[in-house]
Amino acid sequence: MNKTTINYKNFYYPPGGILMWIIIFIELITFGMALVALAYSSKENPQLFHESSMHLNKMIGTINTVFLLTSGFYVAQAVHNYKKNNFSKASSLFKIAMIGGLLFVLLKSIEYYFKIESGFHLDSNTFFTFYWLLTGFHIIHVIVGLVILLILNNNLSDKSIEDVEASAAFWHMCDLIWLLLFPVLYLIF
Amino acid sequence: MKKELTYTFLLLLFLTIITTVVYNLPINQLAKTSIILGLFAIKFIIVAFQFMDLKKANIFWKASVIGILIIINLIIIAS
Repeated sequence: MNKTTINYKNFYYPPGGILMWIIIFIELITFGMALVALAYSSKENPQLFHESSMHLNKMIGTINTVFLLTSGFYVAQAVHNYKKNNFSKASSLFKIAMIGGLLFVLLKSIEYYFKIESGFHLDSNTFFTFYWLLTGFHIIHVIVGLVILLILNNNLSDKSIEDVEASAAFWHMCDLIWLLLFPVLYLIF
Repeated sequence: MKKELTYTFLLLLFLTIITTVVYNLPINQLAKTSIILGLFAIKFIIVAFQFMDLKKANIFWKASVIGILIIINLIIIAS
């Protein structure tokens, strides 16, 4: 158990660590560029993008947003409890956070099922190519995040604060990416 | 800290509800897009600063996150 105090104001030690933040920036820039490309592509055929976007279920998207925000809230609380040496409570909170993540994956899978059933595939049109690639890469991140939280939560008290913060930062990154994807894919066209 | 996180979470849920309301408003499309992206940008910053504790980090990291977010949203609104 490493309980040293970290000076977060130091450039090299943002909460989660500098390497995790470099990853977060690369991810945000990558998804951001893809969204910009999506927005520009919509100029070529605005009607197609509008009609395609209308086929996305806004309610499912909103509920998934709530699942991820709730999960992020419990991860933040878990980190707070870990810092207070309440390892048992922190572990329970991480488990609740993982349930939130699993619900997100479950609901997204249901949405995918209905999209496939309705004939909206990767090659249906430009909008759905972006939809499948962006949400597909995002859900891979969520699954990786769940695996990281699962491994972290195994003997949590043995983990260092750096491990806990880095894992939490990765999970929150999934929230951030979703907060970029959801309005552009589901709401603005 | 614990209360702060709870209030932050409630604010995020409130902003999510507001977004749904704005989406259903009969207003100009550009205004609607700008408001929705603005609301999500606020949620993005709240998650980064409160849940990820970015508020405690060096100014470089804070400015970089806000900068990237502004650039992405401005390009999308302008396109």
